[in-house]
Amino acid sequence: MMRALIVDDEIYSREELESMLKETGEFIVLGKCANAVEAIRAINRERPDVLFLDIQMPAINGFELLSMIDENLMPIVVFVTAYDEYALKAFEENALDYLLKPVEKERLAKTVEKLKKRFALGEKPVFAGPDIQKIPCTHSSKIKLIPTAEIEYVRSGESGVYVICPNGEFYTDLTLQILEGKTRLVRCHKQFLVNIDLVDEIILRENMLADIKTKSGRLVPVSRRYLKLLREALHF
Amino acid sequence: MEILFRMIQAMSVFVVVAYIYCKSPLFKSLTTDSIRTHDRIYLYLVFSCLSIMGTYLGTPVQDAIANTRAIGPVLAGIIGGPLLGTAVGFTGGVHRYFLGGFTAFSCGLSTTVEGALGGIIHLYLVRRNRTEHIFDPRVAFVTAFFAEIVQMAIILLVSRPYANAVTLVQIIAVPMILSNAAGAALFMSIIRDQKNMFDRIAAISSEKAFKIAERTLNILARGINHETAVDLAKIIHKETGVGSVAITDKERLFAYIGQGSDHHKSGGPIVSPFTKAAIRENKVIFVDGGSEHYQCPLSDDCPLHSVLVVPLCIDNEVIGTINLYEPKNKNFLNMNKTLGEGIARLLSNQLLLSRYEMQKNLLVQSELKLLQAQINPHFLFNALNTIIAILRIDSARCKDLLIHLSNFFRKNLKRGNDLSTLEEELDQVNSYLQIEKARFDDRLTIEIDIDPSLMKMILPTFTLQPLVENAFKHGISNTLGPGITRIGAFRRDGWAFIEIEDNAGIFQEKETDDGHGIKIVDKRLKGCFGSNSGITIFCVPNELTRITIKIPQETRPS
Repeated sequence: MMRALIVDDEIYSREELESMLKETGEFIVLGKCANAVEAIRAINRERPDVLFLDIQMPAINGFELLSMIDENLMPIVVFVTAYDEYALKAFEENALDYLLKPVEKERLAKTVEKLKKRFALGEKPVFAGPDIQKIPCTHSSKIKLIPTAEIEYVRSGESGVYVICPNGEFYTDLTLQILEGKTRLVRCHKQFLVNIDLVDEIILRENMLADIKTKSGRLVPVSRRYLKLLREALHF
Repeated sequence: MEILFRMIQAMSVFVVVAYIYCKSPLFKSLTTDSIRTHDRIYLYLVFSCLSIMGTYLGTPVQDAIANTRAIGPVLAGIIGGPLLGTAVGFTGGVHRYFLGGFTAFSCGLSTTVEGALGGIIHLYLVRRNRTEHIFDPRVAFVTAFFAEIVQMAIILLVSRPYANAVTLVQIIAVPMILSNAAGAALFMSIIRDQKNMFDRIAAISSEKAFKIAERTLNILARGINHETAVDLAKIIHKETGVGSVAITDKERLFAYIGQGSDHHKSGGPIVSPFTKAAIRENKVIFVDGGSEHYQCPLSDDCPLHSVLVVPLCIDNEVIGTINLYEPKNKNFLNMNKTLGEGIARLLSNQLLLSRYEMQKNLLVQSELKLLQAQINPHFLFNALNTIIAILRIDSARCKDLLIHLSNFFRKNLKRGNDLSTLEEELDQVNSYLQIEKARFDDRLTIEIDIDPSLMKMILPTFTLQPLVENAFKHGISNTLGPGITRIGAFRRDGWAFIEIEDNAGIFQEKETDDGHGIKIVDKRLKGCFGSNSGITIFCVPNELTRITIKIPQETRPS
């Protein structure tokens, strides 16, 4: 049995697909998500094998969602969409398959065959994905999308990853590793990423340590290991 | 008594001079409303000559001269103000002074004073805003009358021996006062009549021009075609009174009205070499019938003799001509020549404008067609998918949705009419809403609040649908949380308003497609109801976008 997650912004699409997946007898449906933010959380929690993913969704579309998934948790992706203008792009993104809504039973059976073959190979799926423009954050039970250009730095700690802007701190489900890879944020410490564009000054300390002062006056530590890289990046 | 007759004789000469003056080009300086510097110089010369002539026409009396010298300065003063009056008076006075005699100085002085007096009257009339009296002969009479009394007083005060002065004044006072006053009045009345005639001619020709302009514009509003060309030719023919009028395109005679219409037939080819030349060279051709004359190639009996051909142009490209003809026994009036050229210019502008308008309308129409045809394929496939999914759960609802979907498409394809009622618009919108509602059943709320009295209100067809689609595109399709779409219609301050609101607050006007759709709707509303109508967009980022349609509540669209 394959463990599947459904991501679609339309309620009846989700329900229809769930029914069809169950009818094949090949899937355990772990959950249904109405948007990308719910999806990231569910993927991190449930670690599904297969993602049935709609492309057109509010705020963060299917492609952007893929950029936000930790590569260790990356499921095999089957795009499910009502309109086929994205087909080519979907395959460029290394999707296993591409289903058109309304989904036909026979077509879904082929997808199941493809999935089985793929699992037999045991390859890890890889997606390049576009750069992340807006980071989904949670703020007092509301979802907020923060443009990467507004972020001063990102901090990871015991309680998770936090994005720090001039106007506050916001929790995000994205990992530091993803943010480092898919945004312009630069690593300056094992637990910190910093936005070079919003650096005010770099204060050098003893023992090859330093602190970065951001434009809003916050201090971000720089570890010995990353100070050298930062110097190269900033030419100082 | 004899002096009086002599004075009347002199005065008669003045009347003749006045008549000649009025017919001369110099008179032009008096026909305009404001007198400019070079006009003043002409007036100074004319009236100074008049004053000097008055002296020479005088009769010697007792080593002095009984004369009509005062007429020039007084009139110059009244017409041109104190400066001109004094200058003319001084000139006439200096001339008199050098002729000698015991009154030489007093007469020289008094003439200057009389000119200034006329100027004071001018100032008085201007200050009292009664400039229409400047050319009143009665004013000239009274002014000259008193000016002469002043002159007599100056002679008595200044000339010596006093006894001689008294005797002189006894003889010349009455004839000079009367003849100068009468002469000034007559002169002025001739000027006034001539001036009135000029004004009347100017008024008639501008009235004519306006009349033609107004009537041709009315006709051109119907577009230019064979019928309107005939109407145009009729109007020009009637208003200018020329022998005949022809309107052509580049090859054929479009319309012909007037003399010679027995052989100049509408629809025939252009035969006149002048018309051909005007089209070829894009220039006005005038054949005055003198050194060169129009020879009809069609008929030897053709009465037409002189012609004006004016090309009609759009963007400097000749599209036709207007021809005015006069027969052999009539002169081609200068006024008609000016009028003809003016009309052609007017028509050219109008043609350009109507072509522009037409193209603009065509553009809006085709854009609309495009917009209508561009049914979002996402919408269709998503709708079908939703309906199929619902089939599993609720077949009755599924049937309803299919009916809505078919209604939506039928309305979209079949609504050929330009205008619809709000009710019809809402009918289509409702089908769309029902489907969108089904797609987002779990998180979409639709609120509709329409003033029922507005249901029969007329709107351009396809006004609401693009705006509602836009609200969804920027609303529910882009929000992570629950979406609310509100549609309302109400009356306020004599206007009817329709509002479409979503709670996403992410409308961006620059986004090409949607901004474009809204612009087309706005253009059509303004076209129908005037520029105060149309669409306004209000957006509070992340809270709401509200699109408001404003149109007059009762009037039917034009």
